Amino acid sequence: MSAPALSSSNTSEVFASDDSARAQFAAAARLSAWRRRLLPLGAAILLLLLWEVSVVFFHIRPFIAPAPTAVAATLYDKFGLLIANLAPTAVEAIAGFLIGNSAAILLATVFVHQRTAEEAFFPIAVMVHTIPVMAYAPILVLLLGNGMEAKVAIAALICFFPTLVNMTRGLRAVSPQQMELMRILSASSSEIFFKLRLKSSLPYLFSALKIAAATSVIGAIVGEWIGATTGIGALIIQATYNFDSALLYATIVVGSLFSATFFGVISWLERYFLKWNVSQTG
Amino acid sequence: MSQIALDRVPPAPALDDGAAVRLREVTVRFTTERGVTTALERVSLSIPRGGFLTLLGPSGCGKSTLLRVVSDLIPATSGEVEVLGTSAAAARAARDIGFVFQDASLLAWRNALENVELPLEVGGGGKRRGARDPRELLALVGLSGWEKAYPHELSGGMRQRVAIARALVNDPKLLLMDEPFGALDEITRDRLNEELLRVWENTGATILFVTHSIYEAAFLGQQVLLMAARPGRVREIVPVPLPNPRRIAMRDTPQFVELAAHLRRVLETC
Repeated sequence: MSAPALSSSNTSEVFASDDSARAQFAAAARLSAWRRRLLPLGAAILLLLLWEVSVVFFHIRPFIAPAPTAVAATLYDKFGLLIANLAPTAVEAIAGFLIGNSAAILLATVFVHQRTAEEAFFPIAVMVHTIPVMAYAPILVLLLGNGMEAKVAIAALICFFPTLVNMTRGLRAVSPQQMELMRILSASSSEIFFKLRLKSSLPYLFSALKIAAATSVIGAIVGEWIGATTGIGALIIQATYNFDSALLYATIVVGSLFSATFFGVISWLERYFLKWNVSQTG
Repeated sequence: MSQIALDRVPPAPALDDGAAVRLREVTVRFTTERGVTTALERVSLSIPRGGFLTLLGPSGCGKSTLLRVVSDLIPATSGEVEVLGTSAAAARAARDIGFVFQDASLLAWRNALENVELPLEVGGGGKRRGARDPRELLALVGLSGWEKAYPHELSGGMRQRVAIARALVNDPKLLLMDEPFGALDEITRDRLNEELLRVWENTGATILFVTHSIYEAAFLGQQVLLMAARPGRVREIVPVPLPNPRRIAMRDTPQFVELAAHLRRVLETC
């Protein structure tokens, strides 16, 4: 492309002072960054437009499927109702997330120090994991009642298994030479755990937490379907039975936004705590 | 390759009282699924304090096992191990042994300075007297200004320099190095070889250095210990007739070329 520059006899100059080439490169980089942001946005707007046009053109009745503008209007009009119903779901999801992941991290710690415990309990964990959430949700509602406890338990249970598996693997992801180093330094087992195993497990833990952020919300909503008077799940059921499709869609938008924000917070924490992790920063 | 040559009794090591490491008839056996493997067979050697011994031999000759016996990571099945006048376990517990691994084995979440400080934070290492200043050690290995860099920001050679600084932080009297420069390019390796000799002169530590490279073994060592494989045993101890301090250019002298040729000839029979 820049043949005159390459033919220059002084090669160090080719790289050192080619301002126009550098400006060109920076411009190309900016353009590709904007493309990455604008293309999906444009595609989304196009799809929404197509949806709006289809609803009008095919005379789709509002209780079958609402137009995007109707959903937007509902989001605005019933903002208070939507937020009032998001609050219990958010509390349940976050509480379930904290309880389920803490339990998984603790059990993984036990597994890593006690092979016998892993051999005894891991198959049971796998078996519980194979039960679909829709199947055990009613059991937990029967056990814990119609309050928040059952929803929190469902959210916790749904987070538990992926974190248990990843955390166990992460705590073991220590190189034999790093273990030998700790032995040469006469490190105690708690020093090995906190200074070596726990830190090496963080990349594994965060990939599990990102999954759990989304699934904990699913768990809370499923719990609310079984029996609840408030919450995103309850609102979904009510809106469906009342053929209020605009409210149904608006509820789903609010639930998704919460899920995405939760995921975003965990991703931000991951970037903050794992600055040292090359595979993640790259 | 004759059996007689292989069974030749290794030359008796010079037994002086100031030996940093003394092994007598050390044998190490492992039980694996394929049966009992003999990693080391009746190995005897002695390294004087302040000496630099390089261990050279084909893979499977037990070089790494030998370092791990000396550093109390693997117990000897039989024989006597004496490190700095005491047992390997006592020397390790007293932080008199520093170990540098083939891959630098740095902790990815700690920057260079924090990696060098690790030995001071675990196993009661901070309370010991005679700990060296981690910043000074980084300067000693040519990394001043890189204290805050994380391992992924450092080149392979720089990571290995950090590992050397970490091994020196408790001012060990014995430094064990397991092919530390094996994964580096030749230019970096030559540079680190010269720097290691400078560190050796600076610290006065005894160094036991495992390598696959004939040139590295001959250039670094005051003596080269040639090992034979299956089972791992001492084949020959060759004194290096080069003057100190060493310079890379010495590798072009007839003395060095002849020594390397001799080592190669012996290795071919191992």
